[in-house]
Amino acid sequence: MASYLARRTGYMVLILAISSVVIFYALRSAPGGPSGGGVLSPLSSQEIRQAYEKRLGLDQPIYTQYFIYLGHIATGDLGTSLVNGTPITELLQTHARNSLILGLTALLVSYLIAIPLGVLAAVKRNTWVDQLAMGGAILGMGIPNFWLALILVYFFSLRLGLLPSAGCCDPPQLIMPALVLAAEGTAVTMRMTRSSMLEHLRDDFVRALRAKGLPEWQVIIRHVLRNALIPVISLTGLRLGWLVGYALIVETIFRWPGVGYLLVDSIIRRDYPVAQFFSLLLILFVLLANWFADIAYGLANPRIRVA
Amino acid sequence: MSAEVALEVKGLHTTLFLREGRVDVVRDVSFQLNDGETLALVGESGCGKTLTALSVIRLLPDPPARITAGSVVIDGNDITGAPESTMRSLRGDTVSMVFQEPLTSLDPVFTIGDQIEEAITAHRKVNRREAREMAVEILKEVQIPSPRQRLDDYPHQMSGGMRQRVMIAMALVLDPKVLIADEPTTALDVTIQAQILELIRAEQERRQLAVLLITHNLAVVSQVADRVAVMYAGEIVEEASASEIFANPRHPYTQGLLSSIPSAAGDSKHLYTIPGRVPDPRVLPPACLFAPRCPYVISRCWHEHPGLEASNGHLLRCWNPQPFIALKAVEPEVDLSVATSE
Amino acid sequence: MADLTVLDEKAQWEAKVERLWTTRPSRWRDAWYELSRNKLAVTGSLIVVFFTLVAIVGPALAPYDYAKQVLSDVLLPPLSNGHLLGTDELGRDLLSRLLLGIRISMAVGLGTTAIALSVGTVAGMLAGYYRGWVDRIINGFVELVWGFPLILIAVLLIGAIGPGLTGVVIAVGFVNWAGFARIVRGEVFALREKEFVAAARALGKGDLEIMARHLLPNVVGSALVMGSYYMAIAIIAEAGLSFIGMGAQPPLPSLGQMISQGSGYMLLNHWLSTIPGFVIVLLVLGLNVLGDGLRDVLDPRLKGVS
Repeated sequence: MASYLARRTGYMVLILAISSVVIFYALRSAPGGPSGGGVLSPLSSQEIRQAYEKRLGLDQPIYTQYFIYLGHIATGDLGTSLVNGTPITELLQTHARNSLILGLTALLVSYLIAIPLGVLAAVKRNTWVDQLAMGGAILGMGIPNFWLALILVYFFSLRLGLLPSAGCCDPPQLIMPALVLAAEGTAVTMRMTRSSMLEHLRDDFVRALRAKGLPEWQVIIRHVLRNALIPVISLTGLRLGWLVGYALIVETIFRWPGVGYLLVDSIIRRDYPVAQFFSLLLILFVLLANWFADIAYGLANPRIRVA
Repeated sequence: MSAEVALEVKGLHTTLFLREGRVDVVRDVSFQLNDGETLALVGESGCGKTLTALSVIRLLPDPPARITAGSVVIDGNDITGAPESTMRSLRGDTVSMVFQEPLTSLDPVFTIGDQIEEAITAHRKVNRREAREMAVEILKEVQIPSPRQRLDDYPHQMSGGMRQRVMIAMALVLDPKVLIADEPTTALDVTIQAQILELIRAEQERRQLAVLLITHNLAVVSQVADRVAVMYAGEIVEEASASEIFANPRHPYTQGLLSSIPSAAGDSKHLYTIPGRVPDPRVLPPACLFAPRCPYVISRCWHEHPGLEASNGHLLRCWNPQPFIALKAVEPEVDLSVATSE
Repeated sequence: MADLTVLDEKAQWEAKVERLWTTRPSRWRDAWYELSRNKLAVTGSLIVVFFTLVAIVGPALAPYDYAKQVLSDVLLPPLSNGHLLGTDELGRDLLSRLLLGIRISMAVGLGTTAIALSVGTVAGMLAGYYRGWVDRIINGFVELVWGFPLILIAVLLIGAIGPGLTGVVIAVGFVNWAGFARIVRGEVFALREKEFVAAARALGKGDLEIMARHLLPNVVGSALVMGSYYMAIAIIAEAGLSFIGMGAQPPLPSLGQMISQGSGYMLLNHWLSTIPGFVIVLLVLGLNVLGDGLRDVLDPRLKGVS
């Protein structure tokens, strides 16, 4: 276990290092730049641009910039936004908090819907309950989240005027982004829960448990579900990764000031310090999420835990 | 001492409802099992012996299987058509079951302690500590070394024999009247098999258990059974005391089974095998189900279904019983030439 | 000992059993029969075939030029004079744009999936067959890519090379091949131990021939199932990236970008967004349903993978 953890951690550091180099180069070698319309006005003169680039050190070779950047990071200086001069530490506090609120709400909503429905569909297999739940799930997988967002906004904001169409951070403003962010993963988790339940309902131990005279709900919830959740847990790691990806789109649509919104905006505006910091942050988050899912998988599965 | 009837099955019919149609897998099966007695239900796989047992304890895979006729009385309770709640309170308490494969019959993500305790708390109002003490006691009884430590083991950490002891402990912890053992030794090593059978026999004597033993293995039967019912294609074809069955088998199928045991045939080089195979339940033979494989078949066997007739406590379903002479194996060369000429 | 009538009876009965056994259809006929009975698979393939036809011939049948602006006819509702689905804010015919948009979505979906499927299958096959260091390297890449969110990689990549369909195709292909490689690797791992591989090797067949002739046919089923799921994922990803302005660039219409453009006119003419949206939903639904159907028929083990 210890060597596994060490290997896993080393792997994470390696990926972060490679990603940081790739992202740094990719961003800076891309056409346009903060001086080419991202931050400065496209109409500003050549001298102003050169002076601006010199002040930021953008006239130096990229690898020099990279090591200077590493030096800053090492001393705890994350830099400031080129667009408005806000320190990145400050952006990190507000945006990371907003993203966590949105992401955790979405995850909670999604599991609260997906797991009970998945269990119900499996237990009531081939009845209308099952068909309705699975029909909903396959529809949920087919609806692109940005379009769902648009439809929800059209009905609940434009037509009915019940919910604000965008912004942060009151509970009513959280409802639609969280629902949209939860939608796709809910469908996948529900299908996974159902098929995993069906698989374990066929296990020999189910008959043995019934032969002990256990109440049916105890057989289903305590035993079958417990076994069926093992693959669902390992899917959670992937789902957290997907959630990060979808958050880029959902936060942008609802102008929810989270990390995703900030990242898309900073990439479009070529706000290098912000873009590179937050993309690395998201990569770190995804790696950690997969790592935690592996650990949780091991904890849920005694056969792996001891082996 | 007159023994009490622990389990009585009368005219049991179990049917599979498949897309292709109805298939009767258990037909008109009746038997009686007394306290402290072991009845072995013997037959090839697919003969309906496991489905008979599952019908008794009402754990048939539904769909597709359902009981279509017959009555079952366990320990004086007529459970024919009883609601699931009644069945649940009987299972594990009055009637328990031990399965073939102990590894897959235990939930892999719970410790064996948890699994024994929940069998107790499903029927008795006891707290966790009391349940745990009962679990330790029963593990001790089935001769599991250092039982208190083993409670925290997961099934995969134990050997096959130990797991089957755990299954037996779990089945016996509430002191049931009837124990159904479905091929309890088939998945185990030969050396372990004898120990498990010995354990079942010891427990039976101590508790006056009625044991319904389901097996395809006649060696197992000879070790523990008091009476034997031979099943073929969903029917009981012969039933008698174990000694009678081994000394004087009358049904050609039973004779065939006995002839295919090395010791009974006396000639280990040429083991007898019953020709043909178990009939496909979708196209059963028209009258006697064993007719296509029977060495003594007569015309009547193709036209009239034989009933189960009793003589001196020996039940037999056959039109043309012959005295038992160990059937001889067909020479392989002959067998081959027959196969190629077809 | 047995008289004639008995033998007769026996022969009759055996003939009856024989008939029952021989009427069993062959494995492929079996699969085909199951497929045509499977309502999911039939519905899914009908939808997919329909959209494929639209993608091929649709733009040629379009009533107008997709980029032609008629400023006197802006934001017409569906069923307007001469415009079946109405027009957008620049007076362009929605139907004509939709037909081209379907072609672009299908092309991106099919293209990326074809690339991902071939690369992934080959990589998974090599890793599963040779194991050892080949497996370690390939699987290292697979694990690296697999856990990563597609949209994040796409946004970063497009940030570097600039918006457009090229970035979308590269990003989606780059991420999705890992999914195929994982499945194929796992299957080849198991297949390699089977007797028929040992038999082929004993006959002196080369690695390449064993992989192509013996292993490939066995993994094709799962690859196809995954293929229809991944094509759906690719189409949604393209639409999402186009929606936030990182995919197809105007005036080229893509379904996602049409939704995005229409989103500004939801109150005036919501059809601009809802119609392309319905098209995506139907297309993706068709692919997922087809995947489910294929999975049930070809590979029950894959249940719950996607």
